[in-house]
Amino acid sequence: MKLYAYCLIEGIDSLPVPLKGVSGANVRLLKVGTFSLLVSDFPGDAVPVNRDNALAHAATVGSFLDQTTPLPFRFGTLVTEKQLESFVTARRDALQAKLDLVRGCVEMSVKIIQTANENGDPPAKAEAPEKPGTAFLAEKRREILNKESRAVEAKKIAGWLEDRLAEVVRETRINANPTEKLLLAAAHLVERSCVEQYRETLKELRLERPELHFLFSGPWAPYSFANIDLEFQFGVS
Amino acid sequence: MEFSPENPRLAEPEIETSHADEFVEQLRCVTDSLPSRINIDAQSVEQGLAKLVLTLIEFIRRLLEKQAVRRMEGGDLSPEQIEELGLALMRLEAKLQELKTQFGLEDEDLNLDLGPIGRLI
Repeated sequence: MKLYAYCLIEGIDSLPVPLKGVSGANVRLLKVGTFSLLVSDFPGDAVPVNRDNALAHAATVGSFLDQTTPLPFRFGTLVTEKQLESFVTARRDALQAKLDLVRGCVEMSVKIIQTANENGDPPAKAEAPEKPGTAFLAEKRREILNKESRAVEAKKIAGWLEDRLAEVVRETRINANPTEKLLLAAAHLVERSCVEQYRETLKELRLERPELHFLFSGPWAPYSFANIDLEFQFGVS
Repeated sequence: MEFSPENPRLAEPEIETSHADEFVEQLRCVTDSLPSRINIDAQSVEQGLAKLVLTLIEFIRRLLEKQAVRRMEGGDLSPEQIEELGLALMRLEAKLQELKTQFGLEDEDLNLDLGPIGRLI
């Protein structure tokens, strides 16, 4: 029987209420040295990727978010108890450093959409009919130029966002690689006491740039700042 | 752990936007391209391999397109050469589309997460 690992937490010594995790299994607290880990038994070798399991994972990881900041494992992490103990023991210092980084903080998320015709670009001009191969390359040229211009715009918006949120954000992970609509996605590590100020600042920014469509969400566990998945894959499995 | 002004109890996660439909559409694109490495069976292994190979072909195809556009802009191609190059790339795109359909893959599937470096395409 393997263990499904949800997260590593500190300052929690017992579960105040029973928790149901992935596949409806009871979540339990496993103590390894000074760390506590939320785990549940899992009978198989692979976790089905479905809505219920994803929600159960997120709910379990977030179950103590109002009290302490967890280091989440990636969805679907299955290990034996021995592997988990060995991993935590061997990487105690690195895990402690990650806990130090996120302690007292939560992750907040911002996504910004700017559709192509909202950034002031003129619509494509109707041109004289061309041969198919030439027309194909001309269209590709338009696509490439548009993509480059959106990448420049995304960097500008990212800089603006970073400047304006600097006071309330401890760390930022930004993806300014725009798609057709989504201009950028940012994850911010925010101290709990600054969450309201963070939200208010974003509301002001939204009013300042009405042409940008904002989605902000949180608080979440710091998935973007505490990825222990890679270490786990290479170190244990 | 005690709750205090320094450690306030947080509310449930909130999501705020005035453009929910647009973001739902975007998030669907993301979920559609989630890695399928967790569900392992014969069919998904075959599809996963096709995804990997087609992603690399798509990456190279895009590089070729950029190079062709650059050469076109540079003025070192005759109109006939531009037409020939355009037709070749058009056929390559059509062929790749055919292969994607055959393996049940969408445009969003053809990408690789390179970790800290970002995504391949």
